[in-house]
Amino acid sequence: MTSYTETQLDALRELANIGSGQAAAALSTMLGHPVDISVPTAVAMALADAVAAAGDPEEARFGILVPVVGEFRAAVVLLVPEQDAAQLCSVYGLEPASQDGASFLGEIGNILGTSYINVLAQMAGMEMEPAPPQVVHDLLGAIIASVLLAHGNDVDMALVLDSTLQVEGRPCELSFLLIPAGGGVHDLLGRIGVA
Amino acid sequence: MAQELPARMGEWVIGTEAGTVLSCLGLGSCIGLALLDRRCGIAGLAHVMLPGSPAAGAPPAQPGRFADLAVPGLVDALLAVGGMRHRLEAVLVGGAQMFAFDGAGTQDIGPRNEAAVREQLTRARIRISATATGGDKGRSVRVTVPTGEVVYREAAGRTVTLLAATAPTRRVAVPA
Repeated sequence: MTSYTETQLDALRELANIGSGQAAAALSTMLGHPVDISVPTAVAMALADAVAAAGDPEEARFGILVPVVGEFRAAVVLLVPEQDAAQLCSVYGLEPASQDGASFLGEIGNILGTSYINVLAQMAGMEMEPAPPQVVHDLLGAIIASVLLAHGNDVDMALVLDSTLQVEGRPCELSFLLIPAGGGVHDLLGRIGVA
Repeated sequence: MAQELPARMGEWVIGTEAGTVLSCLGLGSCIGLALLDRRCGIAGLAHVMLPGSPAAGAPPAQPGRFADLAVPGLVDALLAVGGMRHRLEAVLVGGAQMFAFDGAGTQDIGPRNEAAVREQLTRARIRISATATGGDKGRSVRVTVPTGEVVYREAAGRTVTLLAATAPTRRVAVPA
C-alpha cells in the first residue's frame, strides 16, 4: 500500500496548480474565451472511494483520456458533462456526439494534457510525453474505474489530482484529473525534493 | 417501495427482503456477478475489480475485489442465508474494454476479469444463465429480489432484461 505525507500531497497540489494554469491558458487561446481554474486537490484514497468521489457513477460523461508515457507514467483524464461538452463544441459549431465533435474534444484533451505534462516534465526533469487522446461517451463510474484499474500497479490506493476549469462566456465546466501510475510518482516527488 | 442496495467496487451485497434492488453502477472493466437462488427468492451481486488476488502475503482485506476470492465468497454468503448450491445460477455483466493503453500489458483487464469469473463458476459448478459482457461500453446492472429479474443498461441506452422475473413457484401435488 502506497501512502503519501501531507508535505508530498502539498507539493503535488502545487505541481497541479502550475500545470493546470498552463493548461487553462492553452485552452483559453484555443477557444478565445477566458478560462478560470479552481484550486487543485490532491488526494490519495481507496479505489472505490476515488470512484465515489467523482460523482454519480451512472451519469453520462464525455471522457477524454490522454495516456502519459515515458519516465513518468500517468493518465490525464478530462470529464465533461454532456451539456458542457455541447457548449464547448458549439464554439466551433460542432456536435459532441458527431465524429468531428469527438475529434475536437480529443484535441482539447491533447492541448490540455500536453501543456500540463510539459510543466511536470520541466519541473521534475523527467522525460514524459502524451500519447494520442481517446474519447468516450460513457458512464462516469465506468470511465474512472477503467482508468484506475488499467494501471494495475496498486490495487489499494489511487492518487488523484483534480482541478476544475471553467470557460467564461460559454458557461461550461470540465474536471481535469491526473492519475499517476504506480511507483512513478515517488520518482517525481524525489526529483522535486520531497521524497 | 424498492430499496436500492449498490455494491461499490470490490464489494458484494446480498438481498433477501422483497423489494430490494441490488446494483452495480458504472461497470467498466469490472464484472458485476449476480448469483441467484430463485426458488428461495434471494440474490447476491459482486462488483469484481481484478482477476486474481496477489500471490504473496496475507489474504487481502477486501476479498470481493478479486475474482478468485469473490466467487467462492459470494457463494458462501448466499448459502449462509438459505441458498442451495445446486440451485444457484449466475449472470455476468461488464468486462468492457473502454480504452486502449499503450504497452501497459493490462489493457485486456475486462476480458481477463470475465475469464477469471467464468473459471471460478465452472470450478464451483454454477451455471451461467445470461451474460452482457465485453465490447467497449460501460454498463449498470440491477437485480430485483425476490423475483430474480436482472436488467442492465449502457450509457444513453435502453434498459435490457437479461433474466425475466419469475412468479413465485408453488409445489403442486401430483394426483396419484
